[in-house]
Formats: sequence, C-alpha cells, structure tokens
Amino acid sequence: MKNALDRIVRSQVWRSIFRHGLPDSNRSRAETVFYNFFLHLHPTKVRKRSIKFTYTWGLGGMSFGLFIVLVVTGALLMLYYRPSVPQAYWDMKDLQFVVSSGTFLRNMHRWAAHAMVALVFLHMLRVFYTGSYKPPKEFNWVIGVVLFVVTILLSYTGYLLPWDQLSFWGISVGTNMIHAMPFGVGDKIAFLLLGGNIVGENALVRFYVLHCFVIPVVAIVLMAIHFWRVRKDGGV
Amino acid sequence: MKRSRIAFALSSVVFLVVLAISPVKDMLLEWKGYQKDYNRLIQDLPQRVAPAEIGIRQIWVPKLDRVDRCVTCHLGMKEKALAGAKEPFGAHPRIDHDVEEFGCTICHEGQGPATTYKESIGKVAFWEHPMLPREYIEAACGKCHKEKTVTHAPVLSAGRKLIEEANCIGCHKIAGYQRQWVPTLNGIGSKVNRAWLYAWLKDPKAYFPKTKMANFHFTDAEADIMADFLMGFTSFSDSASLDPLPAEAAAPTEAAKTALEELGSTRISEARCISCHSINGKGGSIATDLGKVASKTSQQWLYNYIKSPKRFQPKVLMPRFRFSDKDLAGVVTYMKTEYTDYDLAEPPKHTPDPQYYEKGLALFKKYNCRGCHELEGVGNTGEVGPELTFVGSKKLYEIDFGQSGIEESLPSYLFTKMTKPRVFSSVAKMPDFGFSPEEARAVAVALLGNTNERIPEEMQVRPKQASTYDPQGEFGKLVNDLACFGCHTMEGRGRLVATDLTQEASAAKRDWIENYFKVPYSLRPILTERMPNFRLSDPEIKVLTDYMSKVFLTDTLAHDLSVTEASAAKGKLLYEERYGCKGCHQIEGKGGYVGPPLDKVASRLQSGWIFHWLKDPQALRPESIEPNNKLSDQEAEALTAYLLTLK
Repeated sequence: MKNALDRIVRSQVWRSIFRHGLPDSNRSRAETVFYNFFLHLHPTKVRKRSIKFTYTWGLGGMSFGLFIVLVVTGALLMLYYRPSVPQAYWDMKDLQFVVSSGTFLRNMHRWAAHAMVALVFLHMLRVFYTGSYKPPKEFNWVIGVVLFVVTILLSYTGYLLPWDQLSFWGISVGTNMIHAMPFGVGDKIAFLLLGGNIVGENALVRFYVLHCFVIPVVAIVLMAIHFWRVRKDGGV
Repeated sequence: MKRSRIAFALSSVVFLVVLAISPVKDMLLEWKGYQKDYNRLIQDLPQRVAPAEIGIRQIWVPKLDRVDRCVTCHLGMKEKALAGAKEPFGAHPRIDHDVEEFGCTICHEGQGPATTYKESIGKVAFWEHPMLPREYIEAACGKCHKEKTVTHAPVLSAGRKLIEEANCIGCHKIAGYQRQWVPTLNGIGSKVNRAWLYAWLKDPKAYFPKTKMANFHFTDAEADIMADFLMGFTSFSDSASLDPLPAEAAAPTEAAKTALEELGSTRISEARCISCHSINGKGGSIATDLGKVASKTSQQWLYNYIKSPKRFQPKVLMPRFRFSDKDLAGVVTYMKTEYTDYDLAEPPKHTPDPQYYEKGLALFKKYNCRGCHELEGVGNTGEVGPELTFVGSKKLYEIDFGQSGIEESLPSYLFTKMTKPRVFSSVAKMPDFGFSPEEARAVAVALLGNTNERIPEEMQVRPKQASTYDPQGEFGKLVNDLACFGCHTMEGRGRLVATDLTQEASAAKRDWIENYFKVPYSLRPILTERMPNFRLSDPEIKVLTDYMSKVFLTDTLAHDLSVTEASAAKGKLLYEERYGCKGCHQIEGKGGYVGPPLDKVASRLQSGWIFHWLKDPQALRPESIEPNNKLSDQEAEALTAYLLTLK
C-alpha cells in the first residue's frame, strides 16, 4: 500500500503537477504556497481579529459564492435560451413547462441575483463602517465600488432577457433615462446600447452578450484583483 | 469544536433535503398524474385503445407560430371510443379542421405551451389570451374566415349581420363592412310632425320595435332641442318640393270618402305593401312599420312619397308604383283613416330654447348623427368611436372597466358594452341598440374575431369581391325605379328575398315572364314576401323582358328533348312512385305545399332548366331545399318529358 502511494508520488504525472515534496521545511512550505494557484492567494500572515466572523460577516465571500451559483445556473440556462425576438419568450415558457427542473434553475438564478445585489451592498456598508477603505486599501475600495456597479449592471441586462412586458418596459424606461444625458451624449449611448432606437431584436442580442460575456468577464478580472488585494492587505 | 461539527452535519442534511425538492417535484408533475389516470381509464373500456406513453406531447403548427401541449392531458381527442368520457380525456366533437394541422389554441386560445391546468387556461400573469368561453368560441372562426356568412358558425354570421345592419361603421372604423342605407334628414321638417319626432327621439323602438335606430337616451330637454333643431330642416335634397294633394283627394261627402278608402284599400292589397312593410307588427320585415304612419307624417307627404319615393330619398329601395292620382288619393285617404295612432301623446308644452339651433347642432355632432343620417349643411364629423378592426386583440390593460363590476375579460366587456353601452363611463356616447342577450353575444363574437393575428395568406378565407353589376339604359332606369335589387339578386348584386334572376331567361319562358309582370302571383303560397303589382305599362314590360331574354341567359342550360308518350309515362311513374315528388309539389290539387305547384309548369319553365334542375337543384340555386336525388340522364329526361306535358 505504502509502496503504491510512493510510486504515484514519484511518477512523472504527479511531479509535473506538484513540483515539490510534502512540506517539511520552511523553504518547501513557502514553495508549496508559491507554486499553488489557490494557495498563493493567501496572505503571508493574518491578524486574529480580522478572521473573527463578526468582523466581516463573510459578506464578500457569500457574494462570491452567489456569483458561482449564478455562473453555474446561468450556463445551464444558456443551453435552453435563444436571444431572438420570436424565440426568447417561448424558451422561457419551455423552461417553465417542459425542461426538467427548469423552473428551479430559473428561480435559483433569479433569487441568487437578487441576493447578490443585497449582499454586495451590505458588504460595502460593512467595509465603510469598519473603515476598511482607509489607506493602504483606498484603491481596493474603488475597485469594490466598480464591482458593485457591475453587479447592478448584470442584474439590469438580465432583466430584458425573458422578453415579456415587464422586461420590455423596464428596459424602455431605463434607456429613456439615458436619453436625458446632456449634449447629445445620452442619445448616442442609448443608441449604442440598443443597437437602434427601440427595444427590439438588436437590443436583445446586445443585452444578451453584455449579460453573458462582457460584464461577467469584467467582473471576474476585477474580482481577481479585488481578492488579491484583500489577501495581500491581510484580510481573508 | 464539537458544536460546530454538529452544526455542519445538520446543515449538510438540510441542504441535501432542499436539493431533493426539485427532482421530487419533477416526478410528481400534474400531467404525469393525468396520463396515468388515462391509462387506467382505457383499461376499463370494452374497445381497445392504445395506452399513452408517459411524456409531454405537443402539436407544433409552424405556419401559425403555435406550440400546443394541450394534448399532453387531452389524450382521447381522436378516440371515438372516448366520446363523452370525463375531461380531460373526452373525444373532440367533429369539426371541419384537423386538430393535428391547426392545433388547439388557434381556436380555443389559452396558453398552449403550458402543461398545468391553471396555466393552460391562461388567466395568469404574463399571458394575454385566456381561453375563450365556450359561448364565444365562434369568434376564433372569424380570425381566418372573413366572409360575411361562415358555414357552421351561425353565431359569428349573425353577429356580422347585426354589425352591418346596425351600421356600426357610421361611428367606428371596421374593415369589411358595407355602409347601410339610412334615410336622409333633409326636409325632415316638412315630413314629420314635431310630436312624433319628439317621441321617436326619446324611444325609437316604441314606434317601430324592429327599427335599426338606436336609443340615445336623450333627456327631455335634449329631445326638445333636437326636435326643434331638426324641424328647422324643411327643404328636401336636390330642391325637391311637395306637390299639393290632388283634387281627387278632396272628398266632399262621407260616401265619396268611403269610396276613396275602398279604392285605397284595394290598391294597397294589390301592391302587396305588406311584402316589405309591416302593419302594427304583421307583415314583411324589409321596410318600416306603417301601422301608425299617418300620425308621423302628413297625407301630403305620403302622397308625394308614394308617387315618387326617390325624389325624397334618392337611394331608398322602395319601388315607384304606377298609381294614378286618383289611386294615390285613395291610398292616402285610407292610410289616414287606418294608420293613425290615436294614443300618440302630445309632448309637454315647451318654449323653444333661444339657442336651440346651436345646442341642437352641438348635440347632433356630439352623438354623430351624421355617421348614419345625411343632413345638408352639417359636414361629416368622421368616426367618433374607436376603430374596431382589431378589437379582438385589445389588451386588458387598455380597457377601462369603470365601476361596472363585471368579470374583467374581453368577451364580458364587449358583451356588456352591447347590452349597457354607457355602463363603463359617465361620458360614453354610444347609444343603446336594444340588443337581446343572444344578439349582444353574437356581436361580441364577431368583434372578438377581429384580431391582428398574423394568419398566412393561404389560410385566410376572404369575402367574395362585391359585384360591380350596374345595368344601364332603359332597363337600368327601370331597375332603379322599381328597386329590383331590394329583393332580387342579379349578377351577384342585390338581396335574396326573392329569386336570383341571373339565369331567369334560361329558366322561365318569355311569355310567362311577360304575363307575370302583368299579374304577379306567388309561386310558393307559404311565403310572406310576394312580388308586388307595379302596374307596369306594356312598353315597360317589353324593355324588361327584352333585356332579360338577352342577358339573363346561360347557354349551357339549354337541353332540347322530344316528348314521347312512352317517356312521359315513364316520367309519371318516377314522379309518383320512385321519387315521391308529390310529397312537396302539387298537381291538380294533390300533394304537398313546400315546393311550388307544378300544374302548367310546361308553360312556365324551359325544358333545359327542368332537366338540369332535376339533375342538381343546388347547382342552379344553392339555397334550394329540394333534395338532390342524383337522377341518371335517362330518368331526368323522362321526368322532364312528363312535366312538359303539364301545360
């Protein structure tokens, strides 16, 4: 048994993945952290009071957890959803009536999205009240604010996709508000966002791409920086 | 440490249970229960019916952009053995459309993609077309069938007829309807008396229950103003004027008056006025009731109007009878005596409002009287009501139900609008047409069928193009003068109260037609509407018959045959024995009275017509109720030969 384990650990495959042996010295411990993608995020030292649950309430972590839920359910929903005017609403109906656990998927996605907005907001409040935006973390506060906006944009772009009356009018009202921006900038932005002057086929495709690709990618990049900074500044 | 482990273990169990909820719900879906029920039900049937495989079924109709999953639970739709079985398993009643081709929701509405009962009915959020109630189901026929009369959809057809007759297009724009003739109001002040007009404005149906005029529910003050306003219009269209009563109308003695009345009575019955007009409810239904007409208008106006109706109502379908002045004097004297309403209440005394003209004009415009009635000097105010071409696609949020308290659905809204037009809003102007509940429902059905749904061109049934037939020359003048189109159809134009004349010369012999104009009689004694005696002159009859024998002819209907005694005898046998013709027709007083008597039929009909008629009556007259006995050529010829002996 021990022999077999030994053989696996010595094998080419194992060693190509884990470049060091079991950590038995300070050097190998450090190497373990440096060479591991997940471990290297950890701070080199953590203050005991900052890992107290009632200090952070785990709000950022929970937001990230919900983001994972949203990515997974969203990817599954993408299997059934076609962003076109004749199909979109019928695909909603199919999810509701014929896809196994389709309603469950949609509800998960929807409630997770609502919860994420709420948690991100609470997270921001917590950071404010614990003064965690103060130097040297002021840049991370800025990233956090951007991430909050990104979260809201994700919710907003997803709102159009069911293509029902609520979506249509929600997006109509929202984009009409953009028109109010001065010097003709609003008109240009609204046109760019809708791919035209009305909420139609083009708007649906644009919102779909924004919702499923562009904004998530931005969110992931910003989150990576955000988490990295948190860790390097001694948080969890 | 131990506590947190227990908490971790417990929360893991809770999460597992929560995760299991969704698959369990999936297993216990409503439609799966129905399918298992169905499979149990068919086991008890004496006939063998294929069991349902558990799974969602649907009818996909790409050309109508519909996916209907109704058949997931309605499993016995096509199984005759399940006629009358409990729902949702019963067989569908027989219809002319294949369910597989059309799906369900194109007719029934409701939410086709749904797989639960509540969602499929469609009275849920985010679904705009709940199922049509059963009594409104024919509305769906109207989506594709745009012709006026739709076979197998009597309610829809009745509704469309009502919409046309009530002249809804006077106020509403609706595609596909013809404007009706409505009397012009030019010269109304010289035609009717004010007491009658006041009573009429207050309640038109009190005077003539079948009138198409709706009740506008005028207040007393409004009716007074309208009556004063309208009585001011004393000059007729095209500067026509009333001639004085002829000298013959002056009856100095009681005996002379009685003689005049007798003459009038004879002329009125000869002219068969009651073919079109009713007298106190009895008689025809084409024109207005005459029972109280002498209280409505003066003898002088009656005299002028009967003498030449189109002088005062240019487009009226009343024929001009060729009465002499003496005849007319008799007719109007008789009408004055017999057709007076002695109960007509005098309206309360009033002093005309000094601004009656302005106020009257405002009322006239407010209620869009001009939508139906012509009145010189008052321009067209246009449609004042909403367009109804697509009213069946109206969304619920576009409807104001006001304080009516009715069920909030489009069918119930339209039905209520027809029975109580002003219940939804205190400023509504729509008049009350006095529809019965059945009529209101029929109108609602016809309106509900006016949707803007996209139906592929090849699935639409469009109405036939209106006939452009308009005879000219001497014949054309006579046709207009005698208002032939009021009863007869010619080349696809006109009404079908009486015979379609398009092939008349192929049907009837010229001599018979000539004699018929002189002394018209009813071929079928049971009909109310009969050809009136216009008292045509010989040259006029010649014009008519000349034209008819040249134009109303179909060459393919000619069929000469020689009558031999043998063939006639064979035909007689067929007539009496084989086909039981005498069940409906009379010869020498023996037989039924559904069809016309056949004595002297040989002097009336052409041999070719008889032959082709016997072969296929409906090919010649689709509305005929004579059965098609599918005679062979020999049989038809023998029967024709027999009938040709009846001279």
